[in-house]
Amino acid sequence: MSKIKFQRKHLSIPYAAFLLLFVVLPLILIVYYALTDVNGTISLKNFINFFKDKNKLGLLSFSVIIGVANTVLCLLIGYPIAMILSNRKYNKSMVMVLLFVMPMWINFVLRTAATRDLLYWLGINGGENPYLATMIGMVYNYLPFTILPLYTTMLKMDKSLIEASYDLGAKPYQTFYKTIIPMTMPGIVSAATMVFMPTMSSFVISDIMGERKISLIGNAIQFNFDQSRWHDGSLIALIMLLIIGIITLLTKNIQKEENVRGGLW
Amino acid sequence: MKIKKIVSFLLLMFILILVGCKKEGNNLVLRVYNWQDYIEDGKDDEGNKVSNSVIEDWILDYKERTGKDVSVVYDTFETPEIMLNNIKTGKTTYDLACPSEYMIQKMIREGMVEKYDYDGKLINVPNFNEYGSPYIQRIFLESNLSEYAVPYMWGTMGLIYNPQLVDEEDIDSWSIMWNEKYKNMASAKDSVRDTYVVGVMYLNKDKLLKIKLDYESGLLTDAEYNREISLIMNDTSDIAGVERVLKKMKKNIFGFEVDNGKNDIVTGKIAINVAWSGDAVYSMDVAEEEEEVYLNYSVPKEGSNIWFDGWIMPKGANKELAQDFVNFLCQPEIAARNMDYIGYTTSIAGDEVFDLVKEWYAVSEEEEGEYADLTYFFGDTISPESKIDGKALVKVDVRGRQFDAQFPSEEVINRCAVMEDFKEMNDDVLAMWENVKLGDFSIWLSLGVVAGIIVIIGGIYYIKFLRESRKKKKKLNW
Repeated sequence: MSKIKFQRKHLSIPYAAFLLLFVVLPLILIVYYALTDVNGTISLKNFINFFKDKNKLGLLSFSVIIGVANTVLCLLIGYPIAMILSNRKYNKSMVMVLLFVMPMWINFVLRTAATRDLLYWLGINGGENPYLATMIGMVYNYLPFTILPLYTTMLKMDKSLIEASYDLGAKPYQTFYKTIIPMTMPGIVSAATMVFMPTMSSFVISDIMGERKISLIGNAIQFNFDQSRWHDGSLIALIMLLIIGIITLLTKNIQKEENVRGGLW
Repeated sequence: MKIKKIVSFLLLMFILILVGCKKEGNNLVLRVYNWQDYIEDGKDDEGNKVSNSVIEDWILDYKERTGKDVSVVYDTFETPEIMLNNIKTGKTTYDLACPSEYMIQKMIREGMVEKYDYDGKLINVPNFNEYGSPYIQRIFLESNLSEYAVPYMWGTMGLIYNPQLVDEEDIDSWSIMWNEKYKNMASAKDSVRDTYVVGVMYLNKDKLLKIKLDYESGLLTDAEYNREISLIMNDTSDIAGVERVLKKMKKNIFGFEVDNGKNDIVTGKIAINVAWSGDAVYSMDVAEEEEEVYLNYSVPKEGSNIWFDGWIMPKGANKELAQDFVNFLCQPEIAARNMDYIGYTTSIAGDEVFDLVKEWYAVSEEEEGEYADLTYFFGDTISPESKIDGKALVKVDVRGRQFDAQFPSEEVINRCAVMEDFKEMNDDVLAMWENVKLGDFSIWLSLGVVAGIIVIIGGIYYIKFLRESRKKKKKLNW
């Protein structure tokens, strides 16, 4: 047996194997199940049925609305917090950052269950106000994911540009939307993608906070797999995948503009 | 060089150990697939091992009888659906599994179940013929399950409630879930079957109450009454009607739950919960011990569902070993141990079980109480000495609580029927449940969202276009 000479490129084998096994293969399985029926024959019937069913489309739209609402709320709350945190004056020892990020260290199912009890104690319960409770649960869970990317981009922000805008006579609000926002755009985009997509496909938060009276598209996927209806479940998963793919392409487009000074905004 | 030798030696050892493990696997192995926490494990309340578990005792017992060593691989599942998925796709074949009645029916229909050796009686499970409760045996015979499964635990479905918050006269009907007086106070189960029963019972409540009147006035016998209820419960002709009432119910209840309900009723988040009798007993115990809240259990007058879990042998099982194990579980002594550990109601009667029931619930002769008649359940399996006037009587002091949940009276049993698998209607029922759970949406919502997305994207590109043309203009001016 001739000796196999170890080469540098052999180092990539484990990664290639990993990608093949855990990324490509599951994707192929999802596509396979989505485009076949119970008998294993290829059909687009599932696909057509999904877009004919007004309840499924409605659920998808509802999930989009919840996703957008959560993203907007998280950004509105997270942006000022990130600004304060990135200011050395208020946040000398980084303890504040730690406090905001720490909830992420706790298992999120546990955290959500605790939020449910806390809200009940405060008089907001999922039985009476399922939408409100779900929204609170969502914002609470995804806020750290908004703050962190915003915070890191703000740390890297070139402060002299802000000073320059003041020197050139810009009012504070003009400085904010003409200088600070464009500079933090990459953070905003990555925060938005990190919140929007998981919100749409999550089912645990809506289950726990909404007392299982509110469903998102993620619940529909779980429902189908629970009932051994793999084909329908895979189809919804595939549709989600396509939506996420399109959104990623679009945001990439926005971010590209970013490098050419200012871009859209 | 030395290091290389050590490494290769260690590798060799490792391989040898692996091979050794594999060899052990050639012995007799029984693979059991059961619900979590569903067999006695020989541990006390703190989790310390104090005695042999049921499985260990069977291994010893088997060795003693046959001289052969046997080992048990014991896996657990959370829902019968997960179990089915794993048996269908999994690499390991199980010799025994313990799903619920509807899953047993489904698996039988799909030809996934091995038959027990049967000639009118179970040949290799004599203990069940002898000690199995006559009532459960009858139900199994009527449901055509005797050849395929041996029952393990059983119970009813009903409402557990907090009597301080709920009026006694409202709780005896499923209508309470629709009652505005109890808005946001009740929880239903997040499961198709369980909630379908509630819906179908509510939808047919007038019919059911009429039959009940007929039965009470003697026009119908026990068996006829029970069959009528079974027919109504298993009638899948008005799924749309069930969907309608369940959607209405969803607006009135606090929520659906899978296992939160047990705690929520104790902490007072809800006052009424649809519960299986076994869980109800657990809730009542916990509420009493930890919060000093006293909860009650009732099976509504319209009728309800009987559930049971049974031992089946999936295709390819080692039938000899599996039946031996089931036979072991059917000994009253072992059944009592399991019942003591799980807290549900065993399907096995016999003296040991009867003694345990009395130990749990009976008050002494001098104390005040009333006699509950469990003859229908124990029949002739217990010794005549422990009977009073030929009846299996237990003197209990409180009614409507743990005892009645665990051992329903014959009157309650008469209005409970086994709910069958939905068979060819399964997809329709699932679609109904999907509509109830996922909600109804108008097409305008989708159109609005699509329009919104188009407006936003269009707006972005319009702004971009404006800016670019402005830039161009600036350049031109220069």
